[in-house]
Amino acid sequence: MIAARTLRMTCTVTLAWCSWLAGHVRADEPVPIHQLIDETIAAACQAKGLPLAEPASDAEFLRRLYLDLVGTIPSAADARAFLDDAAPDKRAKLIDRLLASPEHARHLARVWNVMFMERRPDKHVAAAQWQEYLRKSALDNKPWDVLVREILSVDGADETTRPAAKFVLDREAEPHQTTRDIGRVFLGVNLQCAQCHDHPLVDGYPQDWYYGLFAFVSRTALFTDKKNKNLVSLMEKADGDVTFTSVFDKTKAIKNATPRVLDAKAIDEPKLEKGQEYAVAPTDGVKPVPKFSRRAQLPSQLTSPDVPAFRRNMANRLWAHMMGRGLVHPVDMHHDDNPPSHPELLAALGDRFATAKFDVRTMLRELALSQTYQRSSLPPPSGEPPPAESFAVTSLKPLTPEQLAWSIMQATGLADHQRSALGAKLNEATLHDGLVGNVSPFVGTFAGPAGQPEGKFQATLAQSLFINNGGQVRDWLAPRAGSLVDRLMKLNDPAAIADELYLSILTRPPTTEERAEVAEYLTDRGADQRAAAFQELAWALVASVEFRFNH
Amino acid sequence: MRQCSYACSSVEHRISRRSLLAGLAGGAAGAMGLSGFAHPAVAEQLKAAAKRVLVVFLAGGSSQLETWDPKPGTDTGGPTLAIPTSVSGVHIAELLPYTARQMHRLAIVRSINTKEDDHGKGHYMMETGRRQEPGMSYPTIGSVAAKFLASEAESLPGYVHVTPGGSSFGTTDSAFLGPKFASVTLGDGVLPTTAARPESLTESADRMRNEMRRRADHRFQQRRRTAETEAYSQSYEQAAELIAKREVFDVTKESPRDLERYGTHDFGRHMLLARRLLERGITAVKVSHSNYDTHNENFDFHIEQLGEFDRPFATMIEDLAERGMLDSTLVVVMAEFGRTPRINHLLGRDHWSAAWSVCLAGCGIQGGAVIGKTNPNGTAVADRQVGAGHLFHTYFRALGLDPTKKYVVAGQPIPMADPQADAIQELLA
Repeated sequence: MIAARTLRMTCTVTLAWCSWLAGHVRADEPVPIHQLIDETIAAACQAKGLPLAEPASDAEFLRRLYLDLVGTIPSAADARAFLDDAAPDKRAKLIDRLLASPEHARHLARVWNVMFMERRPDKHVAAAQWQEYLRKSALDNKPWDVLVREILSVDGADETTRPAAKFVLDREAEPHQTTRDIGRVFLGVNLQCAQCHDHPLVDGYPQDWYYGLFAFVSRTALFTDKKNKNLVSLMEKADGDVTFTSVFDKTKAIKNATPRVLDAKAIDEPKLEKGQEYAVAPTDGVKPVPKFSRRAQLPSQLTSPDVPAFRRNMANRLWAHMMGRGLVHPVDMHHDDNPPSHPELLAALGDRFATAKFDVRTMLRELALSQTYQRSSLPPPSGEPPPAESFAVTSLKPLTPEQLAWSIMQATGLADHQRSALGAKLNEATLHDGLVGNVSPFVGTFAGPAGQPEGKFQATLAQSLFINNGGQVRDWLAPRAGSLVDRLMKLNDPAAIADELYLSILTRPPTTEERAEVAEYLTDRGADQRAAAFQELAWALVASVEFRFNH
Repeated sequence: MRQCSYACSSVEHRISRRSLLAGLAGGAAGAMGLSGFAHPAVAEQLKAAAKRVLVVFLAGGSSQLETWDPKPGTDTGGPTLAIPTSVSGVHIAELLPYTARQMHRLAIVRSINTKEDDHGKGHYMMETGRRQEPGMSYPTIGSVAAKFLASEAESLPGYVHVTPGGSSFGTTDSAFLGPKFASVTLGDGVLPTTAARPESLTESADRMRNEMRRRADHRFQQRRRTAETEAYSQSYEQAAELIAKREVFDVTKESPRDLERYGTHDFGRHMLLARRLLERGITAVKVSHSNYDTHNENFDFHIEQLGEFDRPFATMIEDLAERGMLDSTLVVVMAEFGRTPRINHLLGRDHWSAAWSVCLAGCGIQGGAVIGKTNPNGTAVADRQVGAGHLFHTYFRALGLDPTKKYVVAGQPIPMADPQADAIQELLA
């Protein structure tokens, strides 16, 4: 029965999109998305007289692409191979190779997990199953709208589809919490302040938007199945009208809300006679099933062509993932007073994303192919640096706690050691499983509070002490077979030592000045302190700003 | 603050410190921009006037009837008697004889009704001034103080929590103010282990490698300097300073006489450590005392717990006053809630938030004031009912902050204190 319902829903949705596409797709082949991006950004910069930064060097591009697509820096060996490759299309090839890799699916799943769950502690669905569900979805390049429909339609009662229910279940199906986060995560609008009144600062966030979304989920609650190991899933009542008043309204006028997504049309609800509302009536210990489910309408309504916010939101989030900030920034504050920096571009990206059947991998590929993505983070040499929202220069992105942990494991050579230790058993999964236990202290130290969007970057004392004195980084720097210091110990030429250090940690060769600095440090420390000196030099680069920020 | 030797032209850099705030009261302006004053003497003066907070948290929920609002001779009073204090006409429970002598410096609010009998939610409410709501977390009073009252140049943490248990760097009690203003927990008065250099790392090696890091950062930031890169690089300087200033957190450096005055038990040492921290520039300190959750044997447990609490607390008030620090230090003794007037069959008292008390002092709080009252046997508030929001407004006013201002978090205006409540004006000088 569940399967039949899902199938019906998918068909309706597909039909709706087909008719929408028919009106939007032009006969002639549109320009590639990356070209559209570059033309728009360059034209806007030119209009404002902003010079563009130089193209990123191969080394800068390589490090950035690895961090953005697979969540860690490349090994020294991978870096050497790419830098030595003379093929003119090596960047495009690398983009395709990384996007097709299992490491990419793993990374995307991590990014999505944080986006969906905001580091909430586990409640009803285990993180491992949920992560695996996301990873498989990313690996199959599941269309974004399909993923969202799955997440918002399953009730968690069926074991095979249960992981997808985490979004709602782990919010305890609390309707205000769910409403707020559906608005933010799927539509790019934070309607929290519109719960009690029209948003005081944002004209575009009326209170009825909040209650329109709220009406989809307000009848939903948790159901504990006492006959099935107390399994918690979602249930829905057939009644419960949503009314609201504004706290600013002196007359206390009561308004009714019917389910609708932002300014789209309200859904049609069948009129059911009293006593006839349930397919399965609520009785003690039995999960009720209403004949008409409001929540079941949400997935198709949300992802419908009538809701441009849905396609724009994900286009903007993918853009922000690659470019360091959204065209709308912050990504959940899309409204008239916080317009996109390039409105036509965002609208076009949303439409193109939908036209491409919400193909996430294609969008990421196009973004990565753009000159805008492939610009240097060094601003043009003269004048004020261009503002970040011009995208004339690449913004610095602080590494996420996960990126930081995996990158330090790679930089120190712990990952290389693990690779050789795995021998014939080496693959993405075994390497990941062998090292993932190292990540949680980084999350504990570097992540923002659970249940909140990641706030502005803050450098804390806890973090610098963690890197400066903590046992983990110290242990990883210690020599072990195949690790960075182990490799350095086998080198004698100070220039070769500097090269290996910089390539392993910062994904670039050192400058002449840096080479000299390394040689001088080694001389100062003396021949009997080589191992210590290598660890100190490596530490200095791991702790540097250049390492901490994706640039 | 160090001068930038290169262009700091990013907009973020110019506004980072203020970006969170829609505005602040004049009283906090000194703290906000201390480092911006040209004349060091002015900065020093302002720093001297900077305000601090000490929260003493009686974990589990202390009984108002055994502390600030005794009801001897009634059906709910139990065996606890009332004693006179240094303020004529004001009586508190006999379990607080030392505290009674400081009454002229203390104020009691006896008419609190928080309508929240759950430990976690009550704790949250008393520390943040808000009822818990889904999807939103508010910063604790300690984090608020760290954010707005601590000098930006201060390398020590702004908010320190001394408690039995383990040590850690907090991340969450500062909510949207960010982890920088979260509490550092000193479990049993000890810093987290990462605050000390490991034995295998000598001071000179650490200095040398940090010098290499500094050079690398300097090079990278010549053309790519932002508020964020600067804050990150600077955080290592702070780490070095904390490592160097570890003595600030070492209560054994206090005189044997003071150790004796405060008591050799844990809470005594923790209170003396709190004094040391406040004296040495920590803006907000919270000391937790466990455990008052007396569902059985309420009276015996309170005799024991308050026997620890009374003297160090009174000594702290006296010392702060003597040092001239009480005028600029807000002291609050709070708990999650009070305890039931009804005595249960295990001679215990249960959770009770409908009519209970909090004690305050310092920072212009009227010494000797008693606000509100409960009915004769303490089963309801009889006059001047207030909630956690009123208390939070009062803390703000005492600290020179305007509770009616708003934070702006990701574009959303968020009132700093519950807009439905206001300050208890009678408490404020």
